[in-house]
Amino acid sequence: MGYTDIQSMSLWARRNDMILHLHRAGHSTYTRQKNHGVSFRVISKWMRLAGVDHIHAGTVVGKLEGDPNSVQGFYNVLREEHNAVDLQRGIFFDQDWAGLRGVMPVASGGIHAGQMHQLLHYLGEDVVLQFGGGTIGHPMGIAAGATANRVALEAMVLARNEGRDIWNEGPDILVNAARHCAPLRAALDVWGEITFNYESTDTPDFVPTSTAAA
Amino acid sequence: MKLTQGTFSFLPDLTDEQIGSQVEYCLDKGWAVAIEYTDDPHPRNSYWEMFGPPMFDIRDAAGVMTELRACRQTFPNHYIKVNAFDSTHGRESLRLSFIVGRPDKEPGFRLERQEGPGRTVHYTTHAYATDRPEGERY
Repeated sequence: MGYTDIQSMSLWARRNDMILHLHRAGHSTYTRQKNHGVSFRVISKWMRLAGVDHIHAGTVVGKLEGDPNSVQGFYNVLREEHNAVDLQRGIFFDQDWAGLRGVMPVASGGIHAGQMHQLLHYLGEDVVLQFGGGTIGHPMGIAAGATANRVALEAMVLARNEGRDIWNEGPDILVNAARHCAPLRAALDVWGEITFNYESTDTPDFVPTSTAAA
Repeated sequence: MKLTQGTFSFLPDLTDEQIGSQVEYCLDKGWAVAIEYTDDPHPRNSYWEMFGPPMFDIRDAAGVMTELRACRQTFPNHYIKVNAFDSTHGRESLRLSFIVGRPDKEPGFRLERQEGPGRTVHYTTHAYATDRPEGERY
């Protein structure tokens, strides 16, 4: 099915108690084209209008790299009630969504429990964190993988709400949580050190330049 | 079987101090905090009993903790949870909900199968405790 079908699929999904999940496989063939492509924040806006429920919108830290500001721009377009002008995140105009339902962004692709503090920091909590290999590849089995991810997430949300600095203390928070949870301990042993620190190939459309006044 | 519903249910039971900080976080965000209890913890039972109305006017976590202690005293063998409701336009829903009290013994759930037409099977869960009348379950 193509983009023209998405509104019909959205209606069908509502009539049949289904959730409409959009996987953006292949999007980079046009979202990275600067001369004749379509930015993913436009796709995000378009898909919110079309009635999609979930959409893959980037992780910042996973195996599919992304510029934090651009990804946050997509997320804000998908889920905020009002988008104020935010040039660094690619929002060039004010947009009031007038109560239009949001879309739940999905982060997936090479994410694991050891990155939980970064995921929560960049993406916030209104997001589906989809750990595929990070669940199924767990040495103690799939159920243990799910438990590890859930415990890591809950420990991080608890700490953030208590006012702790999860960006810097994140790894310690995870190690402490793993003391009462063998599956999380095993997950951190396997994946804890794995990071994808390459530069994003996406380039932002707006880069702030310092002026004499600033 | 430890009941795992809501946020934080995969962590060890929260201490009162930890519960207090979470309530504080909710109040700082302007959410209304409410306390609910039940002895029918089926995962699809979202209608727990209210322990008093939501505390729209309370701005201090200590007030909520006093209510929580009163709820635990009245219902020492029920499940108790704290809900935080965000009335912001576009939200109008719970932002945080977590269990803060549970019975000493949690017998858990059994899986029930029902034969449907065409040899289809319908599944549901059944809490062992709900075989007994309300108020005598845990």
